[in-house]
Amino acid sequence: MEIHGLAHAAQLPTPPPDALDDEDMIISEPADVVAVANAEPPPKAVEDCHKVKILGMGTFSEVWLVSPKREQKPETLYALKQLRKADVIRLKQVEHVQNEKSILELCRHHPFITTIFESWQDRSSLYILLEYAPGGEMFGYLRRAQRFDYPVAQFYAAELTLVLVFLHNHGVVYRDLKPENIMIDARGHVKLVDFGFAKVVGDRETYTLCGTPEYLSPEVIQSKGHSKAVDWWALGVLIYEMVLGYPPFYAESPMGIYKKIVDARITFPTWLPPNIRDIVQRLCTKDLSARLGNMKGGGFEVMQHPFFNGIDWRELESQKHKGPLIPQLRFPGDTQYFENYEPQELSADSTYPDSMLAEHDHLFRNF
Amino acid sequence: MSLPALYLEEIDALSRKISQAQPIDILQFCANHFHGRLEAERNQHLASQSSTSLSSMVNPFAMASDTFPGTFGGFGGGPFDGSRDAIREEEEELHSPTAPTFKPQFSMGGMGGRPGSSGSGRRTHSPSGGGGGGPRRPMHVAGSPFLSPSGGSHLGPPSAGQDFPSNYNRNRRTSVSAESLVPTTSDDEWSPPIHPKTSDQMNRLRAAVSNNFLFAHLDEEQDSQVLHALVEKPIPNKGMRVITQGDVGDYFYVVEKGDFDIYVNSAGRMMPGPDGMGKRVTSIGPGGSFGELALMYNAPRAATVISTSSDNILWALDRVTFRRILMENTFKRRRMYEAFLEEIPLLSSLITSERSKIADALDTETFEAGAIIIREGDPGDRFYFIEQGVAEVHKSSQPGGYVRTLNKGDYFGELALLNDAPRAATIVAKSKVKVAYLGKAGFQRLLGPVADIMRRNDPRLGEGVDPLAGPGGFDGSIDVMQGPFGMGRPVEV
Repeated sequence: MEIHGLAHAAQLPTPPPDALDDEDMIISEPADVVAVANAEPPPKAVEDCHKVKILGMGTFSEVWLVSPKREQKPETLYALKQLRKADVIRLKQVEHVQNEKSILELCRHHPFITTIFESWQDRSSLYILLEYAPGGEMFGYLRRAQRFDYPVAQFYAAELTLVLVFLHNHGVVYRDLKPENIMIDARGHVKLVDFGFAKVVGDRETYTLCGTPEYLSPEVIQSKGHSKAVDWWALGVLIYEMVLGYPPFYAESPMGIYKKIVDARITFPTWLPPNIRDIVQRLCTKDLSARLGNMKGGGFEVMQHPFFNGIDWRELESQKHKGPLIPQLRFPGDTQYFENYEPQELSADSTYPDSMLAEHDHLFRNF
Repeated sequence: MSLPALYLEEIDALSRKISQAQPIDILQFCANHFHGRLEAERNQHLASQSSTSLSSMVNPFAMASDTFPGTFGGFGGGPFDGSRDAIREEEEELHSPTAPTFKPQFSMGGMGGRPGSSGSGRRTHSPSGGGGGGPRRPMHVAGSPFLSPSGGSHLGPPSAGQDFPSNYNRNRRTSVSAESLVPTTSDDEWSPPIHPKTSDQMNRLRAAVSNNFLFAHLDEEQDSQVLHALVEKPIPNKGMRVITQGDVGDYFYVVEKGDFDIYVNSAGRMMPGPDGMGKRVTSIGPGGSFGELALMYNAPRAATVISTSSDNILWALDRVTFRRILMENTFKRRRMYEAFLEEIPLLSSLITSERSKIADALDTETFEAGAIIIREGDPGDRFYFIEQGVAEVHKSSQPGGYVRTLNKGDYFGELALLNDAPRAATIVAKSKVKVAYLGKAGFQRLLGPVADIMRRNDPRLGEGVDPLAGPGGFDGSIDVMQGPFGMGRPVEV
């Protein structure tokens, strides 16, 4: 088993576009979607961007597909995340937003993390210019397929394991792993997005409850202080959801979900291959001294689990081969893998009056 | 230009409803109305489609047959080899780019709502809705580089689908987050609010929250601080709304006196009008509690609670206070554990991250006065710290048995991490004693064998001396207890 790639993963640069294996490219794939690097410098203001379409919406942000205004063909596409300052303040997410930007900068060029190109702000919004992954969320593929076959789940879990190992080596806990935050790029590889809950924790524990109900770990729910081990728990939930189509802990109400998580009892259908069952059970272990990924070998131990038998880790991180599911793009800028969103009229809560600016805008000074 | 007949029908229906209901919030009412209409229409559509053919659909996904290098041919001849349109899945037609009524994508039902909106229209994706008898086959063919060693490349029971939960909501999930909290530093001591209560009231409150899992794991100090922080909230009259479905929630409530009804409106929030609260689902009396999710993060209230008697009394606890109490206690305890661990010579070579890992995994146990914590001669498999209370060391070889007293910060049993020698002494709780402990197995899982840790930076290693070998080393049977007793002194037992 190849595990040497791991140390390498910590400083792995994105392979230059010409190093990609052109032979197994599919014809419909526009080359420019992959080769962002050789384009003109990315835009640095919202005025320089042509907003094409909304790709996603959050409680205080929107993500737009944008193309730079002054550019000849082939056009380069980006994802522009726009965060409304007023909502960021109102929802007490200032710290999370700062973390998002600084951690994305730390992770720039990791092959499986969405690359940040620029960030800026104007009077009422913060902007983060990101790499665009045209395949949309893994979530869509999974709900469509209901379940992924073992090799598909294994492939995604392996790429995400490399991401977690990388983040943890840098002292970063991610805290929101779920299919909705995993994008698929043009060659079928994962791109982790939304670092709003990521935080540099080093070896310390942290206390702010955040994540997604079905993916929270028992120590987060019980406010015991949590650390990087929460990501390994979430990986277990993700593997389960990928192979079965629904998460291991679900209920009608959030409190119902939390009760089940705290009990940490998982049921598996009898037909499930034992390697899958075993890795999920080991990752979703309440006892921190027994949770896979949190023990002596750290992430290496996860990589060595028989669930990953057959994975060549070095090849995987070099993205030598394409992923198991490839978005079929009919034209550059085809957004068929994204939901349709109507631009929302800003609510009164989202306006950023002068008084608020005077009081709070210093919080964004370093953005 | 004339408007479509279908549109006029819908508008007429809406107008009738508005004149009936006389809603205050017109926009919300309209939005809800159309939301419901769309859901009904899509469900009807689904029902009518479930028996039709799945053919002639365009798969928006490329086949993966060209994505795995090399050995794909191994699957040649399989039913899914090559031809793209042979791959279909049961929900295909809902999302077909060519179908006129749906958006050209797998748009989760095409509602285009904000993530996290109730999004019921997205139920077009629900297993029950989509799960006709169609072929269940993901849109890819598994390739060999990821073949599992355990056998076939395909998961799934012969008749997948039967074990799929029908009640699982398959919508996109919204992230949740509480206010960001940072522990106070030592010179900026935070003390939790204290609202005096009689011991009767305390007991009733304790009973009321005892089977709630958010409280069940609290230690005594946290428990008492939390109970003291509950603040009295009188609800003098009948018919007063305590919480309103859909509103933001910051408080958890325990009923001290009085009765309350709980209503849920299926729209997800309370609506204007006489039936706006929706259906009465249950009622709550003294000892009951509600609103607990607000202790975790700010989520919309799931129900409306209204008083049905007069002179009611509630106890209220807000999220930030609750979380702060838990955090401050945990934080202090963590730092205390780390300080304890630094005192153990056996573990002196641990680096900070290792100590914090151990501190993370320590468990606690409480012993009443007189209880035996460990017994001489028993096999040892845990090491302990005294977190609170006083304990005594007794040895059978000692005249009278008594050896010394252990206080907060003292530790014992750490040799169990090193070897399997039986306990060399008995430790008895003199007062109520709270200990933190970690088992040998857990320690080794986290950091490996203690022997390796001790060896790794012992200066004698350079001289070829193994600190664990021969006289002077720890063999577990030597009673090393010279020197003044006190905080942090080792007792080898």
